[in-house]
Amino acid sequence: MAKTLIVGEIQKGGLRESTLELVTLARKLGGDITSLVIGSGVGAVAEELAKKGGGRVLLADDASLANYTSDGHARAIRRAIDAEKPDLVLISNTPSGWDVAGKLAAAIDCGIATDVIRIEQDGGDLVFVRRMFNAKFDARLRVSGSPRIATVQPGASEAYTGSEAGSVTKLDGVGGDSRTKFVEVRVAPAGGHDLTKAEIIVSGGRGLQKPENFEAVLKPLVEALGAQMGASRPVVDAGWLPHEYQVGSSGQVVSPKLYVAVGISGAIQHLVGMKSSNFIIAINKDPDAPIFEVADVGIVGDLFEVVPALAAAVKSAKGG
Amino acid sequence: MKILVCLKQVPHKDARLELAADGSWIQDANIKFEINDYDNYALEEALRVKDKDATSEVIVLSIGPDRVQQSLRTALGMGADRAIQIWDDGLAKADSLAIAKTIAAVAKTESCDLVLMGLMSDDTNFAVTGPMLAELLGFPHATGIVSAKLDGGQVEVERELEGGALEVVKLPLPCLLTVQTGMNEVRYASLKGIMQAKKKPLDKKSLGDVGLAAAAVAPKVKVEKIYSPPKGGGAEILTGSKDEIAGKFVGKVKELGLL
Repeated sequence: MAKTLIVGEIQKGGLRESTLELVTLARKLGGDITSLVIGSGVGAVAEELAKKGGGRVLLADDASLANYTSDGHARAIRRAIDAEKPDLVLISNTPSGWDVAGKLAAAIDCGIATDVIRIEQDGGDLVFVRRMFNAKFDARLRVSGSPRIATVQPGASEAYTGSEAGSVTKLDGVGGDSRTKFVEVRVAPAGGHDLTKAEIIVSGGRGLQKPENFEAVLKPLVEALGAQMGASRPVVDAGWLPHEYQVGSSGQVVSPKLYVAVGISGAIQHLVGMKSSNFIIAINKDPDAPIFEVADVGIVGDLFEVVPALAAAVKSAKGG
Repeated sequence: MKILVCLKQVPHKDARLELAADGSWIQDANIKFEINDYDNYALEEALRVKDKDATSEVIVLSIGPDRVQQSLRTALGMGADRAIQIWDDGLAKADSLAIAKTIAAVAKTESCDLVLMGLMSDDTNFAVTGPMLAELLGFPHATGIVSAKLDGGQVEVERELEGGALEVVKLPLPCLLTVQTGMNEVRYASLKGIMQAKKKPLDKKSLGDVGLAAAAVAPKVKVEKIYSPPKGGGAEILTGSKDEIAGKFVGKVKELGLL
């Protein structure tokens, strides 16, 4: 790999961990590494990235870049691409990453692979590996042309921990107007249903088929185990349970001692929220459901038969 | 207000997906298809604008073979005014950018105030067609929105970030928004709506009709192979009768010191 440009991301004023994951990925591919830091008054972050393996770090620092906007970020990344002519541009697949990446690819008229989990070298070419069909299948993609853009799933690589000599170069011509105006970031008020401290969570998914079944089928198991109830996104989207029950990247990220997933197929957005649980038991009728890949123990079967049996067995084990 | 809603037809949520023999895609000959879930919320949001302002026009567009006409009819039954289907064999292996270019070719002739579509599709999960289309149209955009308030010539939206945080941004019209699931409660087509839908226009266009040559939609991204994720490290599957499985489950919970 000749030359990689890493687009860094700032989170709460500091370098986001996922940027260091891109460093690991870029270093594995070899070749020349340039990074980009975008923001306002973020020189220290650029210095930090230079010392943590980001190579030659370009600093796009302008008051107009204080908050993420697609216009501002696209302009800064375009400047860096024009200046560096990289073969590969790596961006974290985060809410700002996926917002800007497609716009950039269309502006440059180049190929893009999104939410990539791995990049392999195959002869002289690269193969981009990612999930498809909501994680049911993996896919190998070939992307032609130069540059190529890849957005990379956070957590797909380890963060780079080495310390390196790097440098910071200021990039000019990065300021300007944005049609999209940032107003504010709102943090949703914490609901009364805090799952992050639960010892046991029993979550239900679309497999429960209707809202009444959370009460009728899932709740007896929740109560028998002394657990808290959680849910997958489709359940919350359908209005069966309030958002505060949602486990996943856009809900609560949990790591209980035991996580029981009932009728949840295991879309990435759910897995991100529960895969660091100490022990995972999944119940699903589809033996190929992705949830079984992260589960320690699986039960393949009809949850409407299995779950009542589990609830009864737990109850009797507790002495009725 | 003229609103274009882009709908993708994807395999039905409950369809059992099998790989094609050559591993290049799924077997899609004998499965049921439906409107991509994210796109349903985009359509609903457009129809809500029309509910408030009957002079608004909602156009639905889908790229795909004739099976997509059924989804377009469903959208017309829900209240969209007219539908456009684009298909050409040259689009069978199209990548996201080719799809965006094809939609852009039509959208440019429609002078829409607003383009709405889902954040991503449930089949490829690429999530880039929206921002690409916005760029090609010269529109500002916002992705993954969970609310939109139209106010004169602009719209204020909430974008879903991570961990329950929302980013509020304002965009001038015309603009493009991609929609998260759960944004609203999607309506069903009424019987009356379904009857009316039969008389609403559904235009089928080829690549040539929209002024594109096959070379303009040659893919830069190729799916070389799709396959089931490697097993191993997967779950230990409990077997036996229902009661035996329940007994083993209790054993596991006990081992964890939780019973």
